[in-house]
Amino acid sequence: MPSEEATERGSSSGASAVRYAGATKRYPGSAKPAVDELTLEVPAGEICVLVGPSGCGKTTAMRMVNRMVEPSGGDILIGERSVRERSPAQLRREIGYVIQQIGLFPHRTIAQNIGAVPQLLGWKKERTAARATELLALVGLDPDLAERYPAQLSGGQQQRVGVARALAADPLVMLMDEPFGAIDPINRERLQNEFLRLQAEIGKTVLFVTHDIDEAIKMGDRIAIMREGGKVAQYATPAELLMDPADEFVEDFVGADRALKRLALMRVADIDLWEAPLAHVGQATAEVRAKLAGAEVPYPLLVDSDRRPLGWLSERDLAGEQVPARPDSPLGPLLDRDDVMRDALADMLQGGAQYAAVADRQGRIHGVLSVEIISEFLVSPKAKTEERAATERPRD
Amino acid sequence: MTNPSLIAAAGEVGKGFFHERTSESLPCQAKPDEVFCFDWARHHIDRFGTPTLQHIELVVFSVLLGFIVAFALALLAHRRGWLRPPLLAVTGVLYTIPSLAFFFLLLPITGLGRDTAIIVLAAYTLQIIYRNTMLGLANVPDSVKDAARGMGLTERQLLWRVELPLATPEIIAGLRIATVSTVAIATLAVFIGAGGLGTQIYGSGNLTFPTSVIIAGGIGILLAFALDGVLLLAQRLTTPWRRVRPA
Repeated sequence: MPSEEATERGSSSGASAVRYAGATKRYPGSAKPAVDELTLEVPAGEICVLVGPSGCGKTTAMRMVNRMVEPSGGDILIGERSVRERSPAQLRREIGYVIQQIGLFPHRTIAQNIGAVPQLLGWKKERTAARATELLALVGLDPDLAERYPAQLSGGQQQRVGVARALAADPLVMLMDEPFGAIDPINRERLQNEFLRLQAEIGKTVLFVTHDIDEAIKMGDRIAIMREGGKVAQYATPAELLMDPADEFVEDFVGADRALKRLALMRVADIDLWEAPLAHVGQATAEVRAKLAGAEVPYPLLVDSDRRPLGWLSERDLAGEQVPARPDSPLGPLLDRDDVMRDALADMLQGGAQYAAVADRQGRIHGVLSVEIISEFLVSPKAKTEERAATERPRD
Repeated sequence: MTNPSLIAAAGEVGKGFFHERTSESLPCQAKPDEVFCFDWARHHIDRFGTPTLQHIELVVFSVLLGFIVAFALALLAHRRGWLRPPLLAVTGVLYTIPSLAFFFLLLPITGLGRDTAIIVLAAYTLQIIYRNTMLGLANVPDSVKDAARGMGLTERQLLWRVELPLATPEIIAGLRIATVSTVAIATLAVFIGAGGLGTQIYGSGNLTFPTSVIIAGGIGILLAFALDGVLLLAQRLTTPWRRVRPA
């Protein structure tokens, strides 16, 4: 079971698994519980996204971990310890907390904001200050900002400070409540990417609340889709969720374009590419024509002596005896093996290209991606049967 | 309904200042249409020294006492929400009592003199200071409080490290209003025998000789400006984050 390994890895990197054990929240005077016997395990060092429509109890579920909402039944364990074992204040100092409205202290400098939890824990001043400097660098902010006040920072900068503040005392768990929800789309995308990069470095256990399924798919190692009444409809990896939604609710929530969304989860390297018929400058055109005969790509790709792609050759280029130095058609989009499929497709559509050369890290030709490959992937037999099954299979 | 003790008290109150300036030679009085007599002012400026000091003392102690009481009440009401309406009502009622009546009400208990004046003046500041403190605490953004609790501040730490510092501008604004209005109301302290600038305003003969009233009033205005300035400076020093240029 991977979760055991993860727990071990987690203990060394300062992250703990979070286990909901029948956690329930019932508000007085309301008939239905806000969170209903939630049982869920988040392995240490993973990002678990709680996603669902408003009123599904996802934020309540998250806030029970640091007892901002007191569970009325069941238990939540961080590592092996119940959250009830410590006083709320003590517990919260071990848990990073990031909220949508950021909530920086307006009367404290950036350095003091980041040092808030260390100060509560009684760290020495020098250690707190050094930690603030370190964290500013970690979240990609200029250390000169340390002495500024929050009002002097942009929204994106403030949210980076919010993340830095949550990380200050090296918490076991991070709770993030729609952390990028109030930020414009361009900066949101940037902050998401930055956080994923940061997470690769720090490996915290993160509970991340959002109502945006695309953000969930992007950020989550696992996703818990919640439905009204505080129940989990499905808890799975993003790929599983898109391939095999548990029921109609999940299917609706994930959206009709889930096949397209799967492209966001794949990299170019994950798919079988076509082999390009290669041509070198000065090579005999007859030789190249021979290669073309059995190739999937109908045009030869001109490469240099290091096999770096230069451009596509047309019929006209092959009219002579030898391959010319200047190809007739430009190379068009050059993809990287590590590109996300969705971005690769976007590049191709933007360039109006049917084919795109894919290079490895050294820039050498690795293969060719075509629109045909992508469309075959989207309607692959597996995806097809699944979609049929989803509409035809009687519900049980 | 006549209350003999109150009448006696009124007599007491009047004693000691209505006949203060008796048979001095007042050159300007010969010219009744002259509003301000520089001659007299030059020769008698030193008679305003003690009343001014008394006045400062009255204002500072009243506002200080009012602040301590109102601040404590505000913290109590902040903690226990059900106390808010009754406390607002009580401080509001105090504020509506006419000041002279208030002096007479306290007379049988605290007698003549400075203490009675300070209690009455302090009572008038309660409403403004209490309300502004509550306003300041209410203006602290919920997101800041949520983040503070979420990071593990206890309620006490939240109050002293976050809420009160952020409420400082409103609290000091309340103190400023309270101080300026107390400078004005404190002129009435003379009727309870507490001295102050009122002695130079409500003295006999001032209706036909306004020079003394103008000087005392002028000192009062300067005093109000000066104390207000001190508080403004204190606010600037305690809230440096309010003066930064936003991004």
